Amino acid sequence: MGQQILNAIFIGSIYALFAVGYTLVFGVLDILNLAHSAVFTLGAAVTYTLVVNHGQSFWLACVLGIFVAALMGLVIEYVCLRPLRRRRAPPIAALISTIGLALIIIAAIEQGRPGTLFAWLWVDGANPVTMPPGAFPNPTWHVAGLTLEGSKLAVIPISLALMLVLGYVMRSTQVGRGLRAVAENPRAARLMGIDVDRMIALTLVISSALGGLAGILFGVALGDISPYIGRDSVEVRGLAVIVLGGMGSIPGAVLGGYLLGLIEVLAVVLLGSNVRAGVAFAALFLMLVLRPQGFFGAQLRERI
Amino acid sequence: MRRLRLGSVLVAAIIAAACGSAGGGGTPANSYAGKTIKLGAVLSITGAGGVYGPQSRDGMNLAVDQINKAGGVNGAQISLTVADDASLQSQSAQVAQTMILSDQDLALLGPTLSNSAVAVHPLAEQQKIPILAVSTTGINIVPNCNFPSTVACRYVFRDSLGEETAIPDNIQSYASDAHPSTGVLLVAQDDKFSSDGGKIVEANVAKYNINLLKTIKFNKAEADLSPYVTTAVGLHPDVIFITSLGGIPAKIMIEARKQGWQGQFLGGNGFNTATVSKNAGAAGLGARSASAWYLGNSFPSNADFVTAFKTAYGHDPDQFAAQGYTGIKIIADAAKRANLTFSDLAGDRDRLRAAMETVNIQSPLGPFQFTSTHDVKQTVWVIKMDGQGGFTLVHEIKAS
Amino acid sequence: MDLLTQLFTDPFAFWTSHTLLISQIGINSILASSMFVVLYSGQLSLAAPGFMAIGAYTAVLMDLYWHTPLAVDFAAGTALAGLVGAIVGLPVLRLRGVFLAIATIGFIEALSLGVILNLPITGEGLGLKNIDADPVGGVNIVLISLAVVVYLLWRLTKGRLGYAWTAVRQDELAARSQGIDVPRYKLIAFVISALLAGYAGAAESHLYFILDPNEYGVPRTVQVLTFAVLGGSGNVLGPVVGALFLTTFPFIFKQAGDYIGVVSGAVLIAIIVFRPQGIVGRGGFAFVRPRWWPRPQSRAPSTG
Repeated sequence: MGQQILNAIFIGSIYALFAVGYTLVFGVLDILNLAHSAVFTLGAAVTYTLVVNHGQSFWLACVLGIFVAALMGLVIEYVCLRPLRRRRAPPIAALISTIGLALIIIAAIEQGRPGTLFAWLWVDGANPVTMPPGAFPNPTWHVAGLTLEGSKLAVIPISLALMLVLGYVMRSTQVGRGLRAVAENPRAARLMGIDVDRMIALTLVISSALGGLAGILFGVALGDISPYIGRDSVEVRGLAVIVLGGMGSIPGAVLGGYLLGLIEVLAVVLLGSNVRAGVAFAALFLMLVLRPQGFFGAQLRERI
Repeated sequence: MRRLRLGSVLVAAIIAAACGSAGGGGTPANSYAGKTIKLGAVLSITGAGGVYGPQSRDGMNLAVDQINKAGGVNGAQISLTVADDASLQSQSAQVAQTMILSDQDLALLGPTLSNSAVAVHPLAEQQKIPILAVSTTGINIVPNCNFPSTVACRYVFRDSLGEETAIPDNIQSYASDAHPSTGVLLVAQDDKFSSDGGKIVEANVAKYNINLLKTIKFNKAEADLSPYVTTAVGLHPDVIFITSLGGIPAKIMIEARKQGWQGQFLGGNGFNTATVSKNAGAAGLGARSASAWYLGNSFPSNADFVTAFKTAYGHDPDQFAAQGYTGIKIIADAAKRANLTFSDLAGDRDRLRAAMETVNIQSPLGPFQFTSTHDVKQTVWVIKMDGQGGFTLVHEIKAS
Repeated sequence: MDLLTQLFTDPFAFWTSHTLLISQIGINSILASSMFVVLYSGQLSLAAPGFMAIGAYTAVLMDLYWHTPLAVDFAAGTALAGLVGAIVGLPVLRLRGVFLAIATIGFIEALSLGVILNLPITGEGLGLKNIDADPVGGVNIVLISLAVVVYLLWRLTKGRLGYAWTAVRQDELAARSQGIDVPRYKLIAFVISALLAGYAGAAESHLYFILDPNEYGVPRTVQVLTFAVLGGSGNVLGPVVGALFLTTFPFIFKQAGDYIGVVSGAVLIAIIVFRPQGIVGRGGFAFVRPRWWPRPQSRAPSTG
């Protein structure tokens, strides 16, 4: 059981980190950024390719992976969102344009094989790969019948630290106040002299960097990097997490992440294996029906 | 859907170049010379099956290239169209219908995934066109493609080793070596291939006195499989059976070894790709499966294939490439003996079908024939992972 | 032969050799229409694949066990989907926008992962064989159904129901103050949408020899949403155009080869950015609009 709790905390950290980025964009823009899970995949894929195919050191590759993810945040803003804002398109259009971008990212990685247009990005096609052992230090301890693995343990403090920093930035800095002002009322924020477009771009950069980092941690610690990790592992679960925690709430997303991790593991332990995923979504459904504001959402936002 | 334009240009050039050599052969039926044998392959190039489809395609293109360069089939050139089904059974059936009725192909190959095969094969049977499965290993592919109807399918063949043969062979081989007494099965429940494999394991363990402690089902799209592995390892079995696709077997092996489990991994066709062995690394050492093909086999029909493949693509082939390559060779051999008319398509398809039943060739898979029910009759190679991304041969089980 | 060339040079051969593709376009059009109905009444419901699954499995199981005539199978599948739609609709319709979207995703995932994959009668992960499928002849049923659906929807949107839906979509509060029973009209739209999806599911199950549980998940709902939004909300032909364009896309753009995913993603973004209201649409989906999002006829100048 102890091992199972550890499993839950680990995957909960990943869910939380991923969902924080998701919820940040929703909080500021009221838009679901469906390219977020593709950015998750991209971060992991770029890091792997840099280490394995371009011979970079693991740490540099991680930094570059996060950088590329952050850049993709700008692409989301400049290609998918800003033109639509300019044209005063309904936000549902933004849903479709981010779906389009996700399609491009995943298809490009999927077709990355030696000799194709995307061989610089990825060379393993649809194959899942693992970071070669020895690329990064990964000590493993066996304590009191528990297996403690360095790469998984590291995920927990990294996620928590980042989320605390983000919480601090949002609460107590000039930038954070600007972001919250935009989230509250963009028109008023503009009148107050805040550059709304810039704030939105910044939101997407932060969100995507976190998403990319979540992908890297996931891919490295679980030994699973493929074009589909974002879509299969976190896309829909990320939605569940931000709903559990309350849409737009950062502490809510963190708690929601751990809660979902725990629910899924308990489903395996208590209910037998094969209903795990179903249970998580049934919980999501009930949660929405019974308490739509989530655990942390202050009030039900009715604007979208 | 992709028409290999480059391929057809190449083919045209080769036709011109090969005229001399074809004429030099002398014997072939004159009706073949200058004709084209149109084949269609429905493969999963994109989507989840993208792990396998491109390999099959490379193997097929290599075979087509070799045959055409060597003068074709009695002087007729093979033209292969590969269509992507995006790993969706509906798209698979749509492109298959286009190939059968619009492109008017002589025969089809594929589809890549078992789910799609169950959608496409009955359609081919209905339209009376031979179809050769080159990668599907599930239950009810041949001969009972119309399952649950018991009328045997006449037009459906496969050159991929069914799990109904491979998994029991593998269990038997290990049981006679090590006499394990307990096992746990980890099975992906949401695709046909894996569920079929799981059912075969469940049906066969008792024969070898293995007590199956628990069957643990999971979905392919799980984020983290650790909770399942923890449950499995907690039961302390001698053997963990894994029936799943893609990178999942490797993930399970790595996690189980990290949690200190020392037993034996046994698996199905899902183990037989370099990806799994490479990803599992040291954790996979000794993991066994029964394979239709073994890279290290030195008999000429395999050694030549491996060399040619490496020359053409710069890397080792895998089992799916070998089966795709063999698929084209089978159809070419049948076409050579079928006395095709090239004018009566329905008749030609029937003649090809009849000729396929008596195929007997040397292939990378070993000596190849079909059983009376159109399934594979070939040697089964029990292999184990070498811990470094490759495989070594454990046993060789000749076709009975 | 090239699809379009054949369509114009030999339409008869085109018809007989592409019945499955044509049928799929028809099915997708009905699904997109089902999405259209909920969008038209101002709800972002993503439940369509769940109702499809209910329709499809019901129809095939009826045929398998009771050998009932096709019309009875279809009617039973459609009716059961509508019934479940009413049951699910009652609690979830209190939710709006993204909340409704996520709740309905919870519904379809719980249904497919929790129920379909675990019931022996559905064949679990193996899927369900439908030996009585008619891939060639099914096209007539599909196209006639589509014509009926489009006609009925056209009548509905031009009638009292349509005006009520439009009122609800444009401003729920105003609609309520004018005495429109908002929950009632929302539920009607939701149930009609469920009936259409259930019928599409039953009809699709008649085309293919296997029911694959993996076809009724989130990717499907994203696809259907894309059909509807890209096609446009201007009139009932929008969803049909969207489904026609996107279903034939991989067949027409064969030149894209392995890069079809990348190309279709780019085309998706381009269309939605340059025509946010959809290919056919005029009005746009005004309802999924955050409070601050610029209105189409807004007097205020757009951002920067």
